[in-house]
Amino acid sequence: MLGIQSIASYLPKGRVDNLEQADRFETDREFVEQKIGVSSLPRFEEQDSVVSASVAAFSNLCAKESIDLAEIECVVLCTQNPDKGGLPHNSALVHAELGLPEDCACFDIGLGCSGYVYGLSVIQSFMAANGMKKGLLFTCDPYSRILDPEDKNTCLLFGDAASVTLISETPRYTLASAKFSTKGAGSEALQKNGSQLEMNGRAVFNFALQDVPKQIRRVLENAELKAEDIDLFLLHQGSRFMLENTIKRAGIPLEKAPIRLSETGNTVSSSIPLLLEKELGKSPGTILMSGFGVGLSWATAIYTQVK
Amino acid sequence: MNREDAVRIVMSMLEKNVNGLEMSEDKMDKTLVDIGVDSLDVMLVIMDVGEAAGVTISDDQAEELDTPEKIVDFIIN
Repeated sequence: MLGIQSIASYLPKGRVDNLEQADRFETDREFVEQKIGVSSLPRFEEQDSVVSASVAAFSNLCAKESIDLAEIECVVLCTQNPDKGGLPHNSALVHAELGLPEDCACFDIGLGCSGYVYGLSVIQSFMAANGMKKGLLFTCDPYSRILDPEDKNTCLLFGDAASVTLISETPRYTLASAKFSTKGAGSEALQKNGSQLEMNGRAVFNFALQDVPKQIRRVLENAELKAEDIDLFLLHQGSRFMLENTIKRAGIPLEKAPIRLSETGNTVSSSIPLLLEKELGKSPGTILMSGFGVGLSWATAIYTQVK
Repeated sequence: MNREDAVRIVMSMLEKNVNGLEMSEDKMDKTLVDIGVDSLDVMLVIMDVGEAAGVTISDDQAEELDTPEKIVDFIIN
């Protein structure tokens, strides 16, 4: 059975001091540190791109795993801010940079903060349907490309990052149960207007606190599990305040749900893989992941360790 | 819902969600900002009040509710 074998990430070297940004926006530093929960944001520099960051994440993966490029049969890349406007699809550009074989399927997925949970399911299903044994799921969504520099609601929040997950027939974790939801009527809460991102903070907040906990409970019920049965909850790292309250409303034990965005900010579809990479060393038995955002789209999945 | 119940809900949701805030009658007509409720706390308070009072508060309506008294008036009307 296909599943997650390994994972690696990449944070660009560029940094934005969020407390200096707070001063620029005449916002209380304590509010930015304690409520938004972000002190420093990784930012693409001029030479960075979705492709270069994805390739850098892959280099980090190669430092952990022995990977034969000739065996990679599938590459899926999740982004809504691709290089070259998405034409060609960036997975093809990554394919070229890595020197992958021609017998390799490549396609992009256009999803935001729910993208990792969706992406895992998509790549595993596609590979299973086509008899593939090894594939790579990349996430890289550099929101710095679309931030309005005068909009403090978004500038103080989003960071750039990339991740890659190795999917194989010798997995450490396999999918047990998942649920995917959409509220298209609420999509204006988080959208690009012209070339810049617009966010209705209140609408996103209400969505995260009201809809996400319901889905988490449903996934647990469908799997006949309780919150206590899950070892690790990986929730999309939107902002500290939103996370703390989503966790509380979902009835999740605080100690099982890491909040770790102080040095990364909200990295969109990379936020869950960044957490997962750090937590895999502890070998949690059962992991629940929940991603939510643009769409409005939200997805929750339970992965269990292969014994 | 009568005013007394509405005041009780609004006061309790403010105290529950805003660190260190102790509500009293004289704070009811102060702005939320003046009694120490920040922009994120406001969203949580409005959501909790709406759920406790069984009323739906739209984003536009919520923007207008800048004092505890205005929140009370909204939920009893």
